[in-house]
Amino acid sequence: MKSFFRSPAPTIAGVAFGCALLLSALDLAVGQEELKNPFDGDVTAAAEGKKLFLKMGCYACHGHEAEGAVGPDLTDDEWIYKPTDAMIFNTINRGRPGTVMAPFGDQLKPEEIWKIVEWLRWKNRQRKAPESK
Amino acid sequence: MQARPRHSSVRHSSVSTLIATLIALVFFSAALPLRAEVTDDMLLNASKESDNWRMVGRDYAGSRFSPLKQVNSKNIKRLVPKWTFSLGTLDAQNTTPLVSDGVMYVTAAHGRTYAVDAKTGTMIWQYAHQLPEDVGKAMCCDIGNRGAALYKDKVFVSTPDAHVVALDMKTGKKVWDVGLGDYKLSYTMTVAPLVVKGKVVVGLSGAEYPTRLFIEALDAETGKQAWRRYTIPAPGEPGSDTWGNDPDNLKYGGASAWITGSYDPQTNLIYWGTGNPNPDWDGVGREGDNLYSNSTLALNADTGEMQFYFQYTPFDVWDFDGVNENILADLDGEKVWLHGDRNGFLYKIDRTNGKFKYGKEISKVNWATGFTPEGRPIVNQEKVPTYTYEAKDICPASEGGKWWNPMSYSPEKKMVFVPSREICTDIKSAKGERAEGKPHWGIGSIKWNKGHGQLVAFDAKTGNKKWTVNAPSPFMSGVLTTGGGLVFAGTPEGEFKAYDQDTGKELWSYQTGSGIVGSPMSFSIGGKQYIAVPSGFGGWTGWATIGGGGAPHLKDSRKGGYVTVFGLFDE
Repeated sequence: MKSFFRSPAPTIAGVAFGCALLLSALDLAVGQEELKNPFDGDVTAAAEGKKLFLKMGCYACHGHEAEGAVGPDLTDDEWIYKPTDAMIFNTINRGRPGTVMAPFGDQLKPEEIWKIVEWLRWKNRQRKAPESK
Repeated sequence: MQARPRHSSVRHSSVSTLIATLIALVFFSAALPLRAEVTDDMLLNASKESDNWRMVGRDYAGSRFSPLKQVNSKNIKRLVPKWTFSLGTLDAQNTTPLVSDGVMYVTAAHGRTYAVDAKTGTMIWQYAHQLPEDVGKAMCCDIGNRGAALYKDKVFVSTPDAHVVALDMKTGKKVWDVGLGDYKLSYTMTVAPLVVKGKVVVGLSGAEYPTRLFIEALDAETGKQAWRRYTIPAPGEPGSDTWGNDPDNLKYGGASAWITGSYDPQTNLIYWGTGNPNPDWDGVGREGDNLYSNSTLALNADTGEMQFYFQYTPFDVWDFDGVNENILADLDGEKVWLHGDRNGFLYKIDRTNGKFKYGKEISKVNWATGFTPEGRPIVNQEKVPTYTYEAKDICPASEGGKWWNPMSYSPEKKMVFVPSREICTDIKSAKGERAEGKPHWGIGSIKWNKGHGQLVAFDAKTGNKKWTVNAPSPFMSGVLTTGGGLVFAGTPEGEFKAYDQDTGKELWSYQTGSGIVGSPMSFSIGGKQYIAVPSGFGGWTGWATIGGGGAPHLKDSRKGGYVTVFGLFDE
């Protein structure tokens, strides 16, 4: 009986694929460990994040209060991908290929990106605050 | 003796192959459109024939008027979609499709160009310009493109990273590719080129950033520069003393040129618009008229030398960005250009000398109280924002009036049809940091107040309004008029509509699936009239939502990327 699960011999491609999976998993694990917002809840960092947001020209697409213009509103919950701190960090760092969103990792240090993330998350919390009362 | 039958077989096979080839040739030549080269005569006489639409404005006058009249107010109810073509990308689909000898040439957002069988919608070739992944940083208002140009055996397109590319009309293969600026410093392009006497003329975008922009002509065969006209004078040149005391203003004053100009073969002048000075909303340090921002420049087509100009908004602190198109019209002996400006006025200007004829309100205007006899606006100081003063309810808002979306002029009716809006703003300016490659707007705060859209018809000679159609949202499409007495325009909600030219009565509507921010056009194949419209929402949409917003219902509008072609239902 022919088995689809048995390979006659490990091929080079197979080994490479296995290694790629392993590296990918390791990368993910390392990435998850690294992608923790160091400024969570830090209002001072959030204020610095807003300054960076304006300085980098993010307002040109997203508006001065990140309320959306050419690009989407960054203060609401209506995102394609769930707006976790890590996802927002990655988007600023790497951009979103196929869209107008360009990578900024070449111009911002990781801690600067995190400050922008914190400002956006702070804006989101502020927006929700009246609803929770 | 086996050779003979084999020989016979080979001969038989050859004959069969020959017949098959001939049949195939006949079949394909019937199936594929016959593509002739686009000559100077075709471009010069574009207004005199009806089947094709070979430049974005349809003719050198930029009329966007098709004489075709098969589709008219009596049979418009039978207008149905014939085919739809995916443009393959999302974001602002600002294009005007072209049609030449049965082939549609259409550009798309993110640097795409397609050739499509205009009868069936079947793709013939595509060109995907390879964009740098960070180009989005350099573009204030999305990665759109406004259309192609055709000349001889080539298709010409501009790209977001400020290249002009010539493509082989039959294959889509790149023939030449010339870079005109560094996109990392925000020298970018969205313009549809204009070909005049063998030169490909384009204009640069980027006035929301510290730039010094220009209009450039390239040899159509080689891409070699023919001339370049900066829109801001160099130090010591006439006009250089209109930019205040900061000499850097002459290096960074913007004045973009992203809308295709018009051409008058009789005067041999190209009429090309220029945009806002930089920074957009902060005039501190650039006190003066800021020449030649917000103007129409009359340029010698052979040399690029400026013969004269007309400036619509001197010392702009509202981002009125007077780059809009100039439609050339002959009105009972008057040779003029018609220009709908973002500052809220429709202008008629003598195209032989640049003299002001009239300025009429398209929408409510309160930033100016009138004009001097020379056409200089008399500014209402209550509507001038400063660092410490928030000017309230400035009308119109920065997008007009009339935004960039091109209007249409019917030479039969002598009427001009203007896509417009009634939206006002509150603005406070601020000192911004001027750094190359970074946005520099000079804005402290800005709010758009809720308003509505309108399509306005004017008597071109007098500037009197004939009718106005109101709509929930601004008309963000270009306008098409036809010999069938129709006006076509699209809405940000995606509805493509036809109106009666005489009355403005809505006659027909079709939902295209996404907001219409490009321009419709019309063509004919085999005696049948077709009408095409691109759809795909995008572009600068801050006016819709920021600070309450001029049309907050457009927040998060669905993107798309289509061309839909309509024809009369075949019984």
